[in-house]
Amino acid sequence: MFCCNWCSYAGADLAGVSRFQYPPNMRIIRVMCSGRVDPVFVMKALKEGADGVLVTGCHIGDCHYISGNEYAKERFERLHKIVIKQLGINEKRVRLEWVSASEGKRFADLITEFTNQIKELGPLKVI
Amino acid sequence: MEKIYEPELRNLLKKCYQCGRCSGVCQLSKVQKYTPSKIIQLILEGFENKVLESGELWDCLTCNQCLKDCPVKINFADIVRMARYKMRHEKNQSSDEFVAHKGIYTTISEIMSRPYINPDRNMDWIPKNCKISDKGDILYYVGCLPFFNYEFENLNSIAISTLKLIYQIEKKPIVVFKEEICCGHDIYWGQGKLKTFIKLAKKNLEKFKNAGVRTIVTACAECYRTFKIDYANIFDEFDENFEVKHIIDYIYENWKSQKIEFKNPNKSEKEIQFTYHDPCRLSRFLPENDNITNKVREIFREFKYLGYQFNEMAHNKENSLCCGVNSWMNCNEKSKALRYKRMQEAKLAGSKLITSCPKCNIHLTCLQNDFEDLASIEILDFSEFIINHVKVIRTKSKGD
Ligand code: SF4
Ligand code: SF4
Ligand code: FES
Repeated sequence: MFCCNWCSYAGADLAGVSRFQYPPNMRIIRVMCSGRVDPVFVMKALKEGADGVLVTGCHIGDCHYISGNEYAKERFERLHKIVIKQLGINEKRVRLEWVSASEGKRFADLITEFTNQIKELGPLKVI
Repeated sequence: MEKIYEPELRNLLKKCYQCGRCSGVCQLSKVQKYTPSKIIQLILEGFENKVLESGELWDCLTCNQCLKDCPVKINFADIVRMARYKMRHEKNQSSDEFVAHKGIYTTISEIMSRPYINPDRNMDWIPKNCKISDKGDILYYVGCLPFFNYEFENLNSIAISTLKLIYQIEKKPIVVFKEEICCGHDIYWGQGKLKTFIKLAKKNLEKFKNAGVRTIVTACAECYRTFKIDYANIFDEFDENFEVKHIIDYIYENWKSQKIEFKNPNKSEKEIQFTYHDPCRLSRFLPENDNITNKVREIFREFKYLGYQFNEMAHNKENSLCCGVNSWMNCNEKSKALRYKRMQEAKLAGSKLITSCPKCNIHLTCLQNDFEDLASIEILDFSEFIINHVKVIRTKSKGD
């Protein structure tokens, strides 16, 4: 999972200090902005064995760098349509979401939901 | 693995007599210091480790110009390919810093090599009047074009024209795989991931066999060379079971056996000047008896009657300049300088530039964004160029 520094990572912190429980089987990688998450990172994560990749950023309009998240959105749409889908990988495995610094609860819920979804899909290896 | 990998680089180099020609002709040496003969000498003298550690073999374009001019035919590009494997596995180096587009395309290829991945390619591009099937004897191997669409535009048009050509001539459904995977070329040459390459090759072979394919037609210079030479090298009997044809070959044969002719319904008064860029994989990477370079020129000469004048660039055939990027490796200002040179030559030779490798096409087109003076050249794939000029001759005697 990739979190941007300004909103989502703070969201994760809030989830932590508020002691919301969320599944432990994910690794957070902090980046400065969701716009920094090159789709290549996602592909590499999948290649290295991740079963799903969640990328989060600030809500549209709130990006610390003004439009990084819009840029991310555009790139992810392309990635989904052209790469993920054509590779025959279930599109649900790669997701882009917006989580703000105040949404600790939502952060935890999102992760729970995403993890459950991936669990349902099973490991990438067996499809 | 033994067939494509020789652990003792030195054995392959013993014949070299240090004439230095390779360093003289090296295409990369035109833009940076690069001396293959010196590297060879170092390896022969036992400094292989030092060479591998320095990482300078990541720079080579594997354009094979040095092989063409070497009196004892030392295949430096092959050495580079094996050295890259060693650099990766023994020296723990990674190609990340050299690979273009941050390695997204090679990552995709690698993912495709996994047994559990079954691509689900977009088939929307297939023209309505072309029938395809998943079993049959003629396969059109599209290559990675649909994935390149991620960053580049209009690549489907190559696939559309090629499929149309084949379908027009065969008049029966052509095999196009929905779950086609990469041929492995870039992994093989650029990344030095030989094991991944073998995985891809095996997976491909399986698919060909299952579909009952006999003839493989492709419009990509790299796929062509990979199937024709490298697969044939790994698998015994690949040669006997499959016939690999580049679309140039395919058109040429059909033209010679008078199944098609070239026509131009909208011939213009003024002759259109055009030129052809030989991809390295079709000129320097094939055995001597493979005449694609000449065949394509014969076709182009015929186009004289269609209102097109074919001009050679200053460097052509085996000596043609490199498009600057190979296997998605090393796209940088130096490679741009090489491309710029190539485009300058093209500009002098005509207003259209034809190539038969989608990657050359991509790399040269990309340069046009940077230089306005080059933007006027129209870069086309061979199939896109001829699609509207091919007419199938219908023989009346045949009842079908
Ligand atoms: S051209 Fe061939 S023989 Fe001459 S130095 Fe280079 S590799 Fe050696
Ligand atoms: S393959 Fe090309 S770039 Fe590499 S050493 Fe030979 S001529 Fe130079
Ligand atoms: S800083 Fe959060 S998305 Fe750009």
